[in-house]
Amino acid sequence: MTNQNRRRKELILAIAPSSRGFGFAVLEGGKTLVDWGVKSVTGDKNVVTLKKAERMVADYNPSVLVLNDAAARDSRRSRRVQELTKKIIAMASTGKVKVALLSRNQVMRAFFADGRGTKHAVARLLAKRFPEELGHRLPPKRKPWVSEDYRMGIFDAVALAVSHFLYWRG
Amino acid sequence: MASSQLPNYLRAHRKRLGLSQDEVAYLLGAKSGTKTSRYERFVREPGFRSALACEAVFQRPIRELFAGLYGQIERDVAGRAKQLVLRSDRMKSGRQTARKRETLQRIAAMDFKRAQSQ
Repeated sequence: MTNQNRRRKELILAIAPSSRGFGFAVLEGGKTLVDWGVKSVTGDKNVVTLKKAERMVADYNPSVLVLNDAAARDSRRSRRVQELTKKIIAMASTGKVKVALLSRNQVMRAFFADGRGTKHAVARLLAKRFPEELGHRLPPKRKPWVSEDYRMGIFDAVALAVSHFLYWRG
Repeated sequence: MASSQLPNYLRAHRKRLGLSQDEVAYLLGAKSGTKTSRYERFVREPGFRSALACEAVFQRPIRELFAGLYGQIERDVAGRAKQLVLRSDRMKSGRQTARKRETLQRIAAMDFKRAQSQ
């Protein structure tokens, strides 16, 4: 198998924690979305999310787990999410799964040459790239007085996975 | 490096069609979505009838729906074909033996061709 083929078949699991749960995406070879969705969690959110993430890692055995870099300078993630990110990294390391952290700026630079864009713009691009999978899940543009649609979790996770693939491909 | 292909892609196809696990289970003739979940999580392999039903539901060939599993089976068959090729070397030469050897060599080369095409 050539290097190019190995690259094409890399399985990327991306997890994007949110205030209600987390969005996830499994991308194979940078082109095929194998699984995607949002999971809501209640109770001790970090414990439940960690359990669910652990199960996903066990099910898919990904080549790499991609997370948002909650400790990055530009990150505005809550303390809970920062803690959760650390725990997921620790869980992945014990399972010998490679972890990649991408900051918001890195994700934006993967989609826009100048790195200036909005989450909705990224979501629209992804809905175009994966019309069968994500086309019908694109939420309307958020009004400033409305809280974020839960479906954005999916797009956050897919954006992380696609960005990682694009960076990795170089 | 993890395996290059997952055992099956049922979940991706189900989600693309907008079906629930219960609905797929009903279409497959199963009692509940638990069975679908087990197939999707690679905990259980469907039987022959269920696999054919999957092909009917998702309108995709079984070898595509169960790509990883198919690849594994193909490799096993190719390995056994190689063994038969070696055995056929000890057989009397003739037209039928030559034809058999040709067939077995083609089967033995299957997984190699597949790996190259991926």
